[in-house]
Amino acid sequence: MSQFRKVAAIALLLCASAVLAAAADRIFTTPNPAAELKRLFPGAAAFSTLGGEPLHFKAFAADPKANPSAAPLGVAFWTTDLVPNEHGYHGPIHILVGMDMTGVLTGVVVTYNSEPYGYFSVEPPKFAMQFKGKKVTDPFRVGGDVDAVSRASISIASATRAIRDSARIVARQLLVEAGK
Amino acid sequence: MDPAVEGWREILAPQLLDLGLLGAFIALAMVSFLRKSIALKYVTFAAAVGYLGFTKSSLVSVSDVFRLTDLSVPEFKYSLAWYGFMLFVVGSTVLWGRVYCGRVCAFGALTQMMDPIVPRRMRLEIPVRIEKHANKVKYGVLAGVLAYYLVTKDVAGPIRYAEPFWMFGLFGSPGMWAGLAVLLLATVFVRNLYCRFLCPVGATLGIISQVTTVFRIKRWAECNSCKLCEKTCEWGAIRGPLIVKSECVRCDDCERLYMDQKKCPHWLILFKRKGNTAVPVSTLN
Repeated sequence: MSQFRKVAAIALLLCASAVLAAAADRIFTTPNPAAELKRLFPGAAAFSTLGGEPLHFKAFAADPKANPSAAPLGVAFWTTDLVPNEHGYHGPIHILVGMDMTGVLTGVVVTYNSEPYGYFSVEPPKFAMQFKGKKVTDPFRVGGDVDAVSRASISIASATRAIRDSARIVARQLLVEAGK
Repeated sequence: MDPAVEGWREILAPQLLDLGLLGAFIALAMVSFLRKSIALKYVTFAAAVGYLGFTKSSLVSVSDVFRLTDLSVPEFKYSLAWYGFMLFVVGSTVLWGRVYCGRVCAFGALTQMMDPIVPRRMRLEIPVRIEKHANKVKYGVLAGVLAYYLVTKDVAGPIRYAEPFWMFGLFGSPGMWAGLAVLLLATVFVRNLYCRFLCPVGATLGIISQVTTVFRIKRWAECNSCKLCEKTCEWGAIRGPLIVKSECVRCDDCERLYMDQKKCPHWLILFKRKGNTAVPVSTLN
């Protein structure tokens, strides 16, 4: 009987820690990812703050204060803002996506993930690199135009869907001339 | 028109092979378990190491225990095989106990395959009084990594250093490989060392099987005094008349003894009474 009581105590402890964890803070994306934005748009002189519908940053070739009528170079956005329900193996993978005004991706930056095998799936630069130059209308098929990583298929597939679906949402709403 | 909307055919097609092979593996594991077959158990081990291990790396990880704390799971329609696997792991544990540890986990299968290869004289039998305490270390490991995760939200640390399952992905740092080498070397002397004393996943399934286990292992009245199964059990899961459910991985060793009418005292006593005629095995159940 004492053994049962011990097990019950352990189970109770686990439940208690679960409640605690659920109440604890979630990990949020950086509000001002200056370095990441610069990587996506090396030629940009200025970036807007995060805003608009859907939420995005604008990249400008010249300071928009000097020339307010200039069109932006492109936009950048968090996958977690646009497709918040897209979960990998363990929670959302935070990816900042850059896209020019014709619907071509200028690159992606994976800033956070809690995937158990993140270190050989979405973290290596090889994963992010293959999205540079991809058109929003491309198939984004893992094993096709996106490399599959065996043993980490759930993580890779989720990150790819997150990039594809968020880019398509932004293209549909912000880039009327994206050639869809 | 909208390329973001996929049909069920596009969602299902890439998953069919995984679903089929997983179904075949589960069928093999269950047939080997329900028929108490030694040969099929070793076939299951080989399939677990080859397919679930090196091909898919689909092992239950302590990171799957972490997700109980934040209820973060992969998307259902894209991860059908994963959901099927998890359902089988939890379902089989509720019904029979740690079947997962005993024949599905690729690492457990690997160390159990060492059993018939390593000469018996190299084995170190751990005294029961030490084993009783060593069994509890895995609950400490579980509590430790869970606390570490809740504070840091770092999944990578625990899965690299508290469990060796990354080995099937072959992605390890020199330090990780060195630790694994020490663990496997120690397993030569103490059988299934990791599963019995250290594994936090085993600890979690042990808690579940301790509370549930619908179909329990049969015990005879004679088990109160007989020590045959207790001595045979390689998992230290039998203490006198009691089967310690949290330690038992349903390896079938004791159940095969129950059915052995030449060894199990239950039958020997029965035959003496009935005038030495063997009872058909079919009356066992």
